[in-house]
Amino acid sequence: MISKMICSSARLCALAAGLSVLSACKTPPPAPVDPVAKGREIFFNETFGGNGRTCGTCHPAENNFTLDAAFIATLPPDNPLFVAETNAELRKNFENPKLMRQFGLILENLDGFDDLENKFVMRGVPHVLAMRTSVNSKQGPRTGWSGDGAPGDGTLRSFATGAVIQHFTRTLNRVAGVDFRLPTAEELDALEAFTLSLGRQQDLALPLPLKGSVAKRGQEIFLDNRLGKCNLCHANAGASANFGGGNLGNANFNTGVESLPDQPAKLTGEKIPLDDGFGRPGNNTFNTPPLVEAASTGPFFHNNAIETIEGAVAFYSGDSFNKSPAGQVLAASDPQKVGIKLDATQVVAVAAFLRVLNAVESIRQSIELLEAGAQEGSAAREEDKQLLRQAVIKTEDTIRVLEAGGLHPEAVAHLREAEELANKAARSFFGRQSLIMQAIERQRNARAQLVEGF
Amino acid sequence: MSNYYLALVIVVVALAGVSEAFGQQATEMYIPIGQSPGVSGKSTLLATIESVDPGKRTLTVSGPAGSRKFQLADRTLIWIDRSAQKQRNQTGTLADLQRGRKVEIKPDEGAGQAVAKWIKVQL
Repeated sequence: MISKMICSSARLCALAAGLSVLSACKTPPPAPVDPVAKGREIFFNETFGGNGRTCGTCHPAENNFTLDAAFIATLPPDNPLFVAETNAELRKNFENPKLMRQFGLILENLDGFDDLENKFVMRGVPHVLAMRTSVNSKQGPRTGWSGDGAPGDGTLRSFATGAVIQHFTRTLNRVAGVDFRLPTAEELDALEAFTLSLGRQQDLALPLPLKGSVAKRGQEIFLDNRLGKCNLCHANAGASANFGGGNLGNANFNTGVESLPDQPAKLTGEKIPLDDGFGRPGNNTFNTPPLVEAASTGPFFHNNAIETIEGAVAFYSGDSFNKSPAGQVLAASDPQKVGIKLDATQVVAVAAFLRVLNAVESIRQSIELLEAGAQEGSAAREEDKQLLRQAVIKTEDTIRVLEAGGLHPEAVAHLREAEELANKAARSFFGRQSLIMQAIERQRNARAQLVEGF
Repeated sequence: MSNYYLALVIVVVALAGVSEAFGQQATEMYIPIGQSPGVSGKSTLLATIESVDPGKRTLTVSGPAGSRKFQLADRTLIWIDRSAQKQRNQTGTLADLQRGRKVEIKPDEGAGQAVAKWIKVQL
């Protein structure tokens, strides 16, 4: 770093080293490459010579790195998400535009590409937040909805290679070097570093000292291994199982989601083959997503079968879950032989808890974005504006999550002020620092309404 | 740990843990020989076919460490890598494994190093 600073001035360079400018500055040490920054650049801008899609096409930062029908409806017709509508080579058997637009579903050929007409599954887009806490398992890394999303060694690092082949191709021939190029080892390293940097870096330690009585009761139910039983597979509202003997890491379960009656996408009459989950042929299991991020990243489950967090919690008290292998195991282990049976008020309480957890995490992220957006100097101006815009989007998200559950109106009021201040800061040059500080204060005020001790 | 939890651990871990995490095979087929992330050059063997015994379903290859024989199980996947010709890769059969062709072999860790999990053969 010192030599770089010295050599930034040719005159100083010559004086300092007593050498000619050329010989002293000819071979400066290479600038260190920030793998996260490089990964970010690749994630949002690299098309790998394919159909125009990037990782960010399906994992947009402005929508919590996932897709839903409401967000899709805001995209222009030439967005690369819609290549199946605009590229004749991809019109058939690449996506189902109707199911994509109505339900945010993406087509995947997880069981092979030999019968495109019949062998495919329709899946939602999992967000890529908190990956550091949710990929590892005792059996190895689990990526994607069924835990087997990556080719090669199956790691998160290898995931992008499979995604390029499945989603970025120019034609259904999928020839490397023609229809796309495969990511290099350096690009895979950078993408892994970037995705691991997103969201929470560690699991929470529940219980939290929540203030709202409904969310507080929801947390009790969540943690009660004889009532809600949620914490068994979603320890600390994360993606790891813990049955009392320590963290087992991420796990796959057959929870019966595929058996749900009246799934919205299936009601359209469109062809949707059974999704058999992990493996080829599948064993009908899917992996456990983290729950802290859930309330702002619906729809829920691998097939986007349920739109609301309340519906997702209610699923576990229904027949599909309780007759599933996972539900049967819970029932067999229960003294009353009950899997999970929550009444409506209890379902809402657990959902309220998940909404508040999500809001607390979103506020943490918003404060992080606001702080990062407060850099000095005009050189960082554009970057700051982007960070502040992201903070605004995140704050809008938090407001939506709380309001939709009828929760904490006082916190929502603080968040609205924080949103306005961050918006002003993004537009302003003078007084920007002060506006950002005020926005951070409002975020903290909002958080103080949700949890004790902040 | 109470009996309740012990029962839960045993049954649920059994349910959850039957599947060994693995690389997805669907997209693997389209990755040219030697370019599979995390496995090529680490847990696969790049070699040239010396001989094939269709009756015994065995394949002998010569690689950097000399000759090695692999058993092909019923579930062993064979893919034809035609990316050098800029053509679509295909699923292959034992008949595509011919002397002199370059192959990449991934041993089936669950079945022992001498059983092939998948084989890519270059045309």
